[in-house]
Amino acid sequence: MSETEIVRARGITKRYPQGTRALESVDLVIHQKARFVLLGPNGAGKSTLIRILSSLSRADSGQCRVCGLDPLRDERQLMERIGVVTQDNDLDPHATGEDLLRFQCRLFGMDRGSSTHRAQELMELFDLSEHARKWVKTLSGGNQRKLHCALALVHRPQLLFLDEPTVGMDPEVRARFWESIRRINHEECTTLVLTTQYLEEAERHADQLALLQAGRIAFRGTPASFLRLYDRPNNGTIGRSSLEQGYLAYLGEVNHAAR
Amino acid sequence: MLLVERAILRTLRRPAAPLGGLGMSLFFLAVYSAGIGGVGFLPQFGDGGYLAFLFPMSLVSLAMGSAAGAGQSLYDDMVSGYFRRLYLSPLHRWTFVAAPIAADAVATGLGSLGILAAGLLFGVPVRFGAMSVLGLLLLSLLWGVTLSAFSAGVMIRTGRPEGARIVTSTVFPLVFLSTTFMPRELITAHWLRAVSWANPVTYLLEGMRYLLAGTAPAEYLLIGLAFSFASAGAALAYALTGTRRVLV
Repeated sequence: MSETEIVRARGITKRYPQGTRALESVDLVIHQKARFVLLGPNGAGKSTLIRILSSLSRADSGQCRVCGLDPLRDERQLMERIGVVTQDNDLDPHATGEDLLRFQCRLFGMDRGSSTHRAQELMELFDLSEHARKWVKTLSGGNQRKLHCALALVHRPQLLFLDEPTVGMDPEVRARFWESIRRINHEECTTLVLTTQYLEEAERHADQLALLQAGRIAFRGTPASFLRLYDRPNNGTIGRSSLEQGYLAYLGEVNHAAR
Repeated sequence: MLLVERAILRTLRRPAAPLGGLGMSLFFLAVYSAGIGGVGFLPQFGDGGYLAFLFPMSLVSLAMGSAAGAGQSLYDDMVSGYFRRLYLSPLHRWTFVAAPIAADAVATGLGSLGILAAGLLFGVPVRFGAMSVLGLLLLSLLWGVTLSAFSAGVMIRTGRPEGARIVTSTVFPLVFLSTTFMPRELITAHWLRAVSWANPVTYLLEGMRYLLAGTAPAEYLLIGLAFSFASAGAALAYALTGTRRVLV
């Protein structure tokens, strides 16, 4: 693992008990400070890969190092270096947003004063200050999602996994959310690994992407290099297609080959 | 400590289970004592009468009422997904389960003190004064931890809320198959007398009686303590090792 690598996975394979193949010999390298997006249709294995890299799940075979650590052997040290935003909002509905953030800070060893300060900082970053004292269960879906992200950031992780982070957010909230995430990437040099079904988000915010198809990596590179391969604009102008158009063109080819 | 603090705060926010357990225990004590307390003049009940004989039942049933708290608390965190958020923190995983068990123990301890205070008020004798109170508290706590940890262990392994209830409903018959209401010599059915010999709950109750009116021999207290420590240890081991298997 070189100094600039933050994730290195080799031969990751995972099958679910019913025999469903989730991942098949996945090799992946992600460099520090990257904004890395995992694309793929539903069930392609994106969330499974994130769960394995963040120690929430165990691969059947293969090796991986995340932040220089083995996710299964060094899970407690790993938790101090990574932040994870899973697809579901993992929130205690019977607490206020402010209480949850402060408590999360305390779990990471901060004292009361620092916890209060960091909680306020994150609430400002995610525009949650006016909802700080509300019960989590009364917050809108979008605000719950933002709070979920804020919780993953309390300890300033080196690496942030975001699994479909903007589901349930309206366009304005989503734009402000990405502004906050980009700021974290720029100012705190946090590496981002995300999955999304909003391809315009991937195009705008990612500098690296990997395409998962039926548990295998079908493409790895920059969005621009992906578009060079699958440039199929609607208006016939070469070099003008969006990532979404390129992705649909790719899926068309995959489906055609399958027939 | 942070997680214990959170678990205690949650119990305080939803006090129905511990308060319900306390209320039921005092109710049973009052009703049974009033209903069949007339037999208390028999020599087998000693100087304390029927109230002192029945008193350990209220401590045992209180622990049974408070024991579902840890399982319920874990279930709530698993359903909301917050358990996964805890999992993604640098804490030891066993602490997520130990904390609600500790909160149950606090609830059981406070409830037991309340019942003991009520018992003293109504003249229940404590043979060794403060030492008896401490001994009763210890037995009650160990019994509470046993039930709480088993229910938390079942919950964490199965992820099903019935887990907590399964433990209570399994243990509930043991209370009736022991010397809860009558001394062994007065139990008429031979089979019940035999079962009560083998039933460890009998020794828990008799150990408490040794500390109260002294109607049981000291060996029963030792057996009761040994059983309580062993069962609490086994239950804790079962619950705390369950976090290795939990699906988040």
